[in-house]
Amino acid sequence: MSDEQNHNVSRRQFLTYTLTGVGGFMAAGIILPMARFAIDPVLQAESEGDMKAVTDVSELTEEPQRFDFSYDQEDAWVTSETTETAYIYQSGDEVVALSSTCTHLGCTVSWATNEEYPDEFFCPCHGGRYEKDGTNIEGTPPTEPLHKYEVEVRDGTVYVGKAEPQV
Amino acid sequence: MKWSTDDIPLFVKEREYVDTAVLPLLPIDFGDGIRQSGAMTEFITVMSAEIEKQFRGRMLLVPSFTYLAQRDIKECRREVEEWIQEMKKEKMKHIILITADSSWKKVESELDGLLVWMPLVPLENMDTAYKKQVISEQIKQLLPLVMDKWKE
Repeated sequence: MSDEQNHNVSRRQFLTYTLTGVGGFMAAGIILPMARFAIDPVLQAESEGDMKAVTDVSELTEEPQRFDFSYDQEDAWVTSETTETAYIYQSGDEVVALSSTCTHLGCTVSWATNEEYPDEFFCPCHGGRYEKDGTNIEGTPPTEPLHKYEVEVRDGTVYVGKAEPQV
Repeated sequence: MKWSTDDIPLFVKEREYVDTAVLPLLPIDFGDGIRQSGAMTEFITVMSAEIEKQFRGRMLLVPSFTYLAQRDIKECRREVEEWIQEMKKEKMKHIILITADSSWKKVESELDGLLVWMPLVPLENMDTAYKKQVISEQIKQLLPLVMDKWKE
């Protein structure tokens, strides 16, 4: 009899187990969302951050192509949707994204639009020119290379972050 | 460059590079034409902002010239001419007037600047993506006009 009792669960034990189990789940149910809420900023930073999905890697070629992407920008009392244009191309295994803003006075440059300079970025305002990697060409008004975006490639999608000066 | 506290100091500093002024012409109607007037204002404001963005290093976007829609266009022309002469005096070589009001076409030859008349595109029923596409198509047509003006 006493042997068999060891294998059986008594009513008291059964209640203890059940209550601990159910209580555990309930506690977890209450605490987990609170914990999530508390460490939310950490989770946010780990995910997308400020990177914006722009295109698929398969779309890219060795030739710089124009891509537009937008985001909301808050400036004092106006929130406006800002659209930026980047020129993105593949250079070997690396994906390069250059800003289309002329470093001289901020016009929009474009790739290979001037017939005389087919392999350069050209600024229509004051004739500023840049090489494919963004280096400004001596003798034209710009004094620094085109800014370069942070680039990240995840699951075949190209994400770009902030444009940073190259020098 | 815009008519703002951020851009005007830059304009003053880099004046030698900025030789073009863009002046939007907006008819104002408080009567039956108020819808049309609103649509034109919106459309031309968006268009001029886009041109400014493309060519911001060489352009100054001037606050719009507004006039009552029923006013005689010849009178308006005289007033705009005054603006133009004032801007030219301040070393603006190229003046671009941008409007959706077709009556300016009648006095185009008497204006000392490039008149760009854009037929009004009704933006009100379009979704955002389509709106952007329409605007960028229009801008593409406009860019060469400006660049040709600079070659003069």
